[in-house]
Amino acid sequence: MSENISRRDFLKLATVGAATTAVLTGCGPASRYIKREPYMEMPEYTYNGLSTYYATTCRECAAGCGLIVRTMQGRAIKVEGNSNNPVNLGKTCARGQATLHGLYNPDRVQGPLKRTRGTPFDLRTNVSVTWDEAVQVVADAINNNNPSEVAFLLGMAPDHLFDLVSDLANAIGAPAPIRYGALSMFEARATLIKASENLFGTAALPFFDIANSDLVLSFGANFLETWLSPVAYTRGFAKMRRGNPKRRGHFIQFESRISQTAAKADEWIPIRPGTESLVAAAIGRLVAEAKGGAVSEVFANVDLNEVLSSADIKLETLEHVAEMVGEAESAIVIPGGSALGLSNGLQTAETILTLNALADNFGKPGGVYLSPFLPNQDTYHRPASAQEMAEFIEKMKSGDVKVLFVHGVNPLFELPESLGFADALGSVQEVISFAVFPDETALASDYIFPDHHGLESWGYQRVATGTEQSVLSGAQPVVSPNYDTRATADVLLAASQALPFKDEMEFLQSKFASLVGQADDSFSAPEINTFTAYFQQHGGWWKKSSELVSPSATDTLGRNFAVEQAEFAGEGEFFFLPFVSPTLGEAGANKPWLQELPDPTTTVMWNTWVEMNPETAHELHIENDDVVKIISEAGEVEAPVYLYPAIRPDTIAMPFGQGHTAYGRYAAGRGANPAKLLGQHFNEAGDLAFAGMRVRIEKIEGKKQMLSRLESRIGVYNEGLEEH
Amino acid sequence: MTAASESLPHLEKGHAGPHEAHEDIRQYLMFDPKPRGEMNAMVMESMLTTSWKFWVVFGILAFLVATCFIYAWGYMIAEGLWVAGVMRPSYWGIFLVNTVFWIGISHAGTFISAILRVFKAEFRRPFTRAAELMTTFGLIQAGASIFMHLGRVWLAYWLFPIPNVRQLWPNFHSPLMWDLLAITTYILGSTMYLFLPLIPDLAMARDRSTGWRKTFYKILALGFRGTEGEWTHLHTAMNFFAFAIIPVMFSVHTIVSWDFAMAMRPGWSSTVFGPYFVLGALHSGMGAVAVVLFIMRVTMKHMDYFLRAEHFDALGKLMLIVSFAYSYFFFNDYIVQWYGGDRWTDTLLHWLEEGPMAWMFYQLIFLNIALPWLTLWNKKIRQTPWLLALIGLLINLGMYWERYLIVPVMLTINRMPFTWKLYEPRIEIFLTIGTFSLFLLFYLAASRLIPLIPVWEVQEGQMAHSLRKVGKTHLPSVSEVDLTMQ
Amino acid sequence: MGIDLNLVGAKGAIAEEAEGKWGMVIDQDLCTGCQACVAACAMENNLSFVGEEDAGYGRTQHWIRIERFWEGAYPEVKATAFQPMLCQQCGHAPCEPVCPVFATPHSPAQEINLQVYNRCVGTRYCANNCPYQVRSFNWRDYHLEPFHANNVDGQLVYPLHNQFNPDVTVRRRGVMEKCTFCIQRIHQAEDKAKSEGREVHDGEFTTACAQACPANAITFGRMDDHESLVSQLAHQDRGIKHLEELNTLPRITYLKEG
Repeated sequence: MSENISRRDFLKLATVGAATTAVLTGCGPASRYIKREPYMEMPEYTYNGLSTYYATTCRECAAGCGLIVRTMQGRAIKVEGNSNNPVNLGKTCARGQATLHGLYNPDRVQGPLKRTRGTPFDLRTNVSVTWDEAVQVVADAINNNNPSEVAFLLGMAPDHLFDLVSDLANAIGAPAPIRYGALSMFEARATLIKASENLFGTAALPFFDIANSDLVLSFGANFLETWLSPVAYTRGFAKMRRGNPKRRGHFIQFESRISQTAAKADEWIPIRPGTESLVAAAIGRLVAEAKGGAVSEVFANVDLNEVLSSADIKLETLEHVAEMVGEAESAIVIPGGSALGLSNGLQTAETILTLNALADNFGKPGGVYLSPFLPNQDTYHRPASAQEMAEFIEKMKSGDVKVLFVHGVNPLFELPESLGFADALGSVQEVISFAVFPDETALASDYIFPDHHGLESWGYQRVATGTEQSVLSGAQPVVSPNYDTRATADVLLAASQALPFKDEMEFLQSKFASLVGQADDSFSAPEINTFTAYFQQHGGWWKKSSELVSPSATDTLGRNFAVEQAEFAGEGEFFFLPFVSPTLGEAGANKPWLQELPDPTTTVMWNTWVEMNPETAHELHIENDDVVKIISEAGEVEAPVYLYPAIRPDTIAMPFGQGHTAYGRYAAGRGANPAKLLGQHFNEAGDLAFAGMRVRIEKIEGKKQMLSRLESRIGVYNEGLEEH
Repeated sequence: MTAASESLPHLEKGHAGPHEAHEDIRQYLMFDPKPRGEMNAMVMESMLTTSWKFWVVFGILAFLVATCFIYAWGYMIAEGLWVAGVMRPSYWGIFLVNTVFWIGISHAGTFISAILRVFKAEFRRPFTRAAELMTTFGLIQAGASIFMHLGRVWLAYWLFPIPNVRQLWPNFHSPLMWDLLAITTYILGSTMYLFLPLIPDLAMARDRSTGWRKTFYKILALGFRGTEGEWTHLHTAMNFFAFAIIPVMFSVHTIVSWDFAMAMRPGWSSTVFGPYFVLGALHSGMGAVAVVLFIMRVTMKHMDYFLRAEHFDALGKLMLIVSFAYSYFFFNDYIVQWYGGDRWTDTLLHWLEEGPMAWMFYQLIFLNIALPWLTLWNKKIRQTPWLLALIGLLINLGMYWERYLIVPVMLTINRMPFTWKLYEPRIEIFLTIGTFSLFLLFYLAASRLIPLIPVWEVQEGQMAHSLRKVGKTHLPSVSEVDLTMQ
Repeated sequence: MGIDLNLVGAKGAIAEEAEGKWGMVIDQDLCTGCQACVAACAMENNLSFVGEEDAGYGRTQHWIRIERFWEGAYPEVKATAFQPMLCQQCGHAPCEPVCPVFATPHSPAQEINLQVYNRCVGTRYCANNCPYQVRSFNWRDYHLEPFHANNVDGQLVYPLHNQFNPDVTVRRRGVMEKCTFCIQRIHQAEDKAKSEGREVHDGEFTTACAQACPANAITFGRMDDHESLVSQLAHQDRGIKHLEELNTLPRITYLKEG
């Protein structure tokens, strides 16, 4: 049904869009924008009371969901999913919906600024500079320094800027840009890719076809929340559950707390953190034994009894899971962030992929594939792992970075404090931020030359995973820039003559060139200008049919490696599990409606909480809303307690996403940042062992902070209604 | 008492006999008459004697009204209901508690006055006025509380069926609409009913005052001269209103109860709510009358002549009877709800009995039922004005708790457990203080402006009562005075 | 009114009449509780956010909320299926008769439950009487809080207001509001259909929540069209209606887990 309307709608939109873009593509950058006019003076292509729709790409995370933005009189009114974009097929997540609250956020950087590092951001006291001066500053920074001492730090989106900066760095001889995002850290992307490389020989993101699977085992993969491409995986989940009328897919989650994803599982198995690889191997052993024939060495080496005691799991449970795996037509096992962000994360990833091999699902429907590359893409440019960031920070500290350009990432907030980014900034002579919002890193910069908001920008995003085919999601401005901002690509192109492009659009077209005339594409265009117009109209370019790559896994089951329990850093009675807030993500804290969304599992709004098992809390004489101090080897944070009935008694958990000291009025001074507790411990793939910390807690006597919950404590937890 | 009995030498002989020695018949106001002029003078004096204490209390109340009523309400209008404690699921808070409470208070006035008048209960005579005033002043507070509660009070006139540009009638299906009409009828009816017996007293005051007071009374007395025709008309009108106001009074509180009983909510949807609310209203109203009479007796001059132990005794008996009736309905409602075993009602009763507001529930039972039962059977207690006033005050507290439990506390529990939250009053506390202050302020003003004792009624009663000599003893006897009430 | 035959088990035309015109089916087996519908609703319908303190005190302006409870105790604890709760657009709506000023009448054309902000005087009786507790009240002018404004040359400028949907009234303080089944979208579709001289088709448009839902758990459409997806989904065995015993004739069918 919904496809029906969406298609109809889309055709309607597409016509309007086509007319507009045809007008727009021929002109210079300034005229490409839709002016925000008073209602009395309308641009000629808008009609009173009629909306104009533009296809673009969401930049709230790096998944690359296609959006159709409804605009009226030059204002963006509503975001809908682009029903043609294969990533999200017309759907959006809450963060995508709230992207307009970023666009119209009262706390945007409204023009280029020169700053004194660390001073508070104030619209009235900021020192404005002109864009000419700004371009000169950037030009001086690039040209007057040794290229090897110029560094670019970019976010996970947008990809076109990464490509441009890569080309630029290459042209001037600077080191390649580094990309980072807290999401990639919490997903342990590097580990997943490393495991894929070790097993399949390709450093690509695996694609888990849960849609066609009838049994999903997930080790801490929060694929309904923030993991890799949540909208696409949610669709897959829905198909798994209800897509096939003959069966209802079964879903088992191994995780130490009931996350939003685990809440949808048919079975939640709270194994002890750090034993994921053991449990996976034990399941493998039981499955293989039941199948008969040789049990591969990885699995044969685990001692079942040891697994039972160390993982705190019952034999019946294991046998039950193994039996289900054995009987399933297409079982799939997914390694999630909290299972991989451990000292043995790489082993865990490999064990879990090997378990998939045992389920014999590589390259089969309902199994594991590799995500395809785009025709103009050589490799998957994965974001930096925390270890690589640590190395970069060391480089900064040693004074080898004279100029640091930051775009699309907020390392002061997103990196664990223990990595020392704040100190390292002190050793960098000039920090130039292209931030849209006055975030912590922007405030620690010498200049802020604000980029347009994602909805005011051109660009594209390669879809790394979540689709069967290769997708290049396209972005175009849906409104004219609200403030005196300028596209970072244009600033860099103007400042450096190293690249032969007049502006951002020329650069984009140069990247499109190799896509023109490809077979089986979503639209066919004879030459580049038509291609560009269609690209904007459709909201991107993609292949029509599946291009999923079957992993070339030879003898996966024959590989042998040691499967051991993870090691935990620090002292303390609790395992510490930080997780990305499903509603806020890494950068949603400044959007008021995202703050007002209740967390799906705790229904807490506007704040950070510490999840603690009520039994444990009772022993420690801790009650709801008591503020506790969590102390790890790396630091300490304070947050109020939420007595969470669905968490292991030996584990406490905290959402990541709040705890900003800057980032606008809705984010600043709210909640706490669990990244402060994370120490410098990496797994073999270089990802941070963020789930591998032990912490202790101290109750702060007499201090309470009422958490704002949507739920009723009376109705849900029977407070005041218990039998006496 | 002493002064009064000394001035009545003609009666002294009457009951000096050995048989009546244990009971002094002159303790009854009706058998302790005074000459008209003297009595009129006493009432005038009680109105005109104003000590500095009066002005201190008046000042404090005026300040409280200015801050807690006028300013607080204005602030709430300017800021929105955000400053109050109402929220989901307790969309109605103390405002509605106050509305029901004040309507309850207002009940006793009419009850005492109209029902006792219709049934010719003689002890009513000196305090009908005070009770009727309570009706009018209480209704003003009830109306104000309803308007306070409105989200857009500046549009409150939309509730009235007046022709308007929107060509829209109010919704006559809505219990709130009935409520509004009932309260409007009641306030009009009870004001008329207050005013009619007041006319002869106003005329009396007019003839005994000078200056602005004379003008004031002259206007209000409507030229009453006390001719036979005027009296006949007045009696007819009073008689008519006494009968007419009784069904109105019953309907008003029944309709107020329908605001709750008609709603589809556990705890509220109860067929017994109508009579239960009427009895509850009488219960609090009787208590309030006792308090007001006590205050009048203590603070105003000559009131100990008019308000005697016999009146408190009679009130105490009424309170006890009403308390019996009230507890019948209370337990009836409660037991039927409990026996029904409906899941939500069960939870609600749990919530009342064991939740954070359970103390209020038990206090309610104690104050409204146990306390009157334990004390009011005792004549000594009934005849001790301050004790009866204290009991009346405590009953009112209990009745306030009852309304508090019915409105915000019962609203906590609905059929969506995900939304249950306990209400916390915020600015409502000040506004409640404000309404109470305004009520008392009205009373204070009235005590200076109009005779709080219906002198003519007392005099009429005293004329009708006499001691008739039968053989060697004197027997009290009453003759019918009210010609129109035959 | 007569006996409601639907309740006593009558089938066929009479029972279907009780289903109304527009309806919604929410598959709780699919709902992941992700809050996309909540955000989409907020953006489409100009909902105010109320800030931390008010949000915790039961004053959120959500027109749709997602409920979850717990069953059992650790380690056998389980979260109940996420349950999006929104106005059920009852056929016999308890909120309707109690409003003294006709601010929440029944629409004969759309067979849904309207909220006329202009008429509302804020008695909040409808919200008390709503068994689903899905109405929200504007306790203050949340969107005009100076906190949301920037001071530009001494004038307050509210950049967030640029996002407001011009098809939906921005409510001021003192009025009740609730889910309208995106009536602005219904009207738009009706106007279009009327100009083309036809009926509104099922699937011609959908509500903001259904459009956003990544799991496709929400389906909206013509209940009176037997062929429509929503009608077919609603008649599955898994379908239940909330508080059906109250005879409110809710227009939203929930599909249970399993």
